[in-house]
Amino acid sequence: MADIGERLRGLPGGSAAALKLDPREYADHYFAVLNGTLRDLGSETDAHVIYITVTNPASFVWSLAQALDVPASRISFVDVISHIIMNYSNPLPNATYVETPRALEEIMLRVDYLLRKYPHPRSVVVVDSLNALAIHNPRELLSEFFHIFLTNLKSRNVLTLILVTSDEEAGELERMLNLLVDETVDVGGGR
Amino acid sequence: MDAPAAGPAEPAAPRALMAPATVLARCATGIGGLDDVLGGGLPRGNMILVAGSVGTGKTTLCLEFLVRGAERGERSLFLSVTEASQKLIQNLSTFEFFRPDLVSDGSLVFVDLPALYDKLGLEHEEMTSDEIDILIRTIRDLVQTLGVKRLVLDSLTSVCYRIRRDEAIRDFMLRLGQTLNQLGCTSLLVSEIGPTEGRYSMHGVEEAIVDGVVLLWNTRRQGDILRVLQVVKMRGTSHSRAQYVIELTPIGLLMAPHLKGGRPEGA
Repeated sequence: MADIGERLRGLPGGSAAALKLDPREYADHYFAVLNGTLRDLGSETDAHVIYITVTNPASFVWSLAQALDVPASRISFVDVISHIIMNYSNPLPNATYVETPRALEEIMLRVDYLLRKYPHPRSVVVVDSLNALAIHNPRELLSEFFHIFLTNLKSRNVLTLILVTSDEEAGELERMLNLLVDETVDVGGGR
Repeated sequence: MDAPAAGPAEPAAPRALMAPATVLARCATGIGGLDDVLGGGLPRGNMILVAGSVGTGKTTLCLEFLVRGAERGERSLFLSVTEASQKLIQNLSTFEFFRPDLVSDGSLVFVDLPALYDKLGLEHEEMTSDEIDILIRTIRDLVQTLGVKRLVLDSLTSVCYRIRRDEAIRDFMLRLGQTLNQLGCTSLLVSEIGPTEGRYSMHGVEEAIVDGVVLLWNTRRQGDILRVLQVVKMRGTSHSRAQYVIELTPIGLLMAPHLKGGRPEGA
């Protein structure tokens, strides 16, 4: 598998990329993405990663990040799933919790809040994932969300990475996303 | 010596498309997103109705407007009818944007209107025209003496509850608006309305007098509640009429576009 971290480090601020995961090698690809986004991008000087967790709770991603020695000061979470799965008893100090993945505007607002609260020369927003958001939201609403969200982040020079697992269901959304992102990075190798 | 002959007329400098002929001075609210919606801020001296049902963020929006103004050196006055000042300040201290020194140095002033009523001897359940005169004069004197540039009345509904008659409310608001405008004071008047009301105030006359209306309400999407803000009227400036979802964060009110997902209103 190509060094995903190196590729992500080469992406400029203000750009958006879809990170394409192969469902047949999902676990390997997912770990490679976490490694690349949390450890490699997170260890850059003056970088701050805002990780939007829809697939897994922030506590799960944070435990992996700790195993990768990512300092808490370099990462904030917008946890969109813990409330809805009733797993909210031990909130993380570096996480903000949105009640439901259907509150897409709330996701934009929480990211806006974190960008204003922790201004960094290199801000990175990770959306994990398009597929998980698509479970809870109709396609038209999600298209509108990504259009506004990505355009706003681009104008603020924020690098945005969106995890997508290719499958038949995600096909239409993936095509929509391709129109909005600057590039698609195939996590298994190649672009 | 003869004056040099005039050459061909210089072409007029290009103006922004749809730019107004005259741009009024602005009072930047300092609230994230709202100044963008308003094209730079509220026209200075305007009297604005902030209308909404309970729990929609009216008081917090107004308080932030005053704090941001006080930070910029514009003395700000909060006239409270419904809540005691001490309690308001206590609530305000939970926000990171609040600075207690603004209260202690007099940049941000809180006045409890019920205490003022007592002091002025305004004792009738329904104010007489003389009492309304006294109230307007007292507000004018406060604004003038303190050099107030931003004022919030929370709430207009509670004041109107003691004025009652539509004609008297219209007259009170016209005179208050003129007075504050002459003093260059930009004001927000809180209007409490029911969640399903088809108007912006209790009597329905208030919105006709004010220069602007900012409406706040709760809406539902698949059972989830979102707080929404819309500027429905603002004299003296072009403005966005779109709906925005708001969040009251520790650093202040933030706004994001209200997503429709291609569905028409009410669908």
